[in-house]
Amino acid sequence: MTERIFILLIIVFIGFSCRNSKSKAAEFVFPQSDSVPVSEAEKLSPEAIADISKNISSPVEIANLLQTLQVPFSQNYLAESIDANKQSTNFDKALKLGILGADLGYLNMYEKTGSSLDVLSSIRKISEDIKVGQFFDFESIKRLSKNRSNLDSLLFISIDSYNKIDTYLRSNDRGQLSALMIIGVWIEGQFLATQVANKFPDKMLIDRIGEQKIILNDLLLLISPYCNRDPEFTSLCKDMQDIKEKYRDIRITYTQGEPVSVEKDGGLTIKQTETSVVTMSKEQLNGVIEITKNIRDRLILNN
Amino acid sequence: MKKSIISLAFLFALGLLSFGQVTDPLISNCVINAGANARYLKDFRIQLGKATNQSELRYKANMSLWKNTKYRFTMCNADNSKGQLILSIKDESNKQILSSLDKKTGKIYPYIDFECQKSGLYQINYDFNNGQQGSGVGVVSMIK
Repeated sequence: MTERIFILLIIVFIGFSCRNSKSKAAEFVFPQSDSVPVSEAEKLSPEAIADISKNISSPVEIANLLQTLQVPFSQNYLAESIDANKQSTNFDKALKLGILGADLGYLNMYEKTGSSLDVLSSIRKISEDIKVGQFFDFESIKRLSKNRSNLDSLLFISIDSYNKIDTYLRSNDRGQLSALMIIGVWIEGQFLATQVANKFPDKMLIDRIGEQKIILNDLLLLISPYCNRDPEFTSLCKDMQDIKEKYRDIRITYTQGEPVSVEKDGGLTIKQTETSVVTMSKEQLNGVIEITKNIRDRLILNN
Repeated sequence: MKKSIISLAFLFALGLLSFGQVTDPLISNCVINAGANARYLKDFRIQLGKATNQSELRYKANMSLWKNTKYRFTMCNADNSKGQLILSIKDESNKQILSSLDKKTGKIYPYIDFECQKSGLYQINYDFNNGQQGSGVGVVSMIK
């Protein structure tokens, strides 16, 4: 009898444990291995690569968050040291095209049209150098930059031009340049966010920095096939691995919930009640800020 | 009345001019349709033939969506499209977060606002209602 009660208690205990583990928050973790094997990345189909490149968030989203938080514009965050005439390799050119693209998004969102024309001329020079200038609608962007009332059109044409370049490069066996451009956009967006967080440590912004852990693996997947291509790529891959290492112990957990929908003005509004929660210490944040700055500053000085 | 028509025509022409040399007017018009309070992020051009099997939405893409951001998903159909574009979004655990098709009533919403509270990778799925042949565009914007 005692034995039966004991077994019953164990079953009840196990039952409760399982139920509790279900309702506990799930956690985002990096895949097991420290780096993405080249063979795995090489197996990616062109569609999968296109998908990853579309995954990466737009710098406009970071700039929008900064505006929501009423963070003032600062020229100091821009990669002004980039000289379009001094970029010697296609590696440098593609990476800088990405970095400048993120700066253009930041400038456009803050309607700093004077400065955006300078960035635009650098973008024009570099994109023509790597033979993708035809996809950048410079005249329209220039015209819209001068007319502040057309911000939405300006954002659309700028983002659309980058998307066209990305698609063209990938479909013409120049995927390594597309990967560099995307990494450049991400690093500059990350630099912008971390520099602002250093000065204005807002919880929402710090969380967004921590949440980048979610897409880091995709970025590594994108660049992995080229890591042994030449020393420049090898060094960039190492930089990305170093950033990933800083994120290793930053935790992202999820709480459960069902979406709530409301019909309004002929459309539908869905409010998500599930949430993601970032747990990141001050030291971890400082580590991310520091490594991002070191890598980005080195990349833009590499003229 | 005449004045209103002229004004409307002028606004339309201005809109077209603003988008300059964009190759696909369906996309640029859909961006305009998303509304003045929406800021363009991405677009998905969808062209599908008639489906043989209607179990799942056929066009699939992934996109990262971020917490504390309000997104607008706008669906636009080409003039020659037989079906109407519909959208569903699933999270990484394959749980459906939203659908622009109300299966109970058959109503198709032209846009959906999504208040994201969980950052992550989401699967964006499009198709045309009843698996019909169709051509359309899905525009993703942020709401200011």
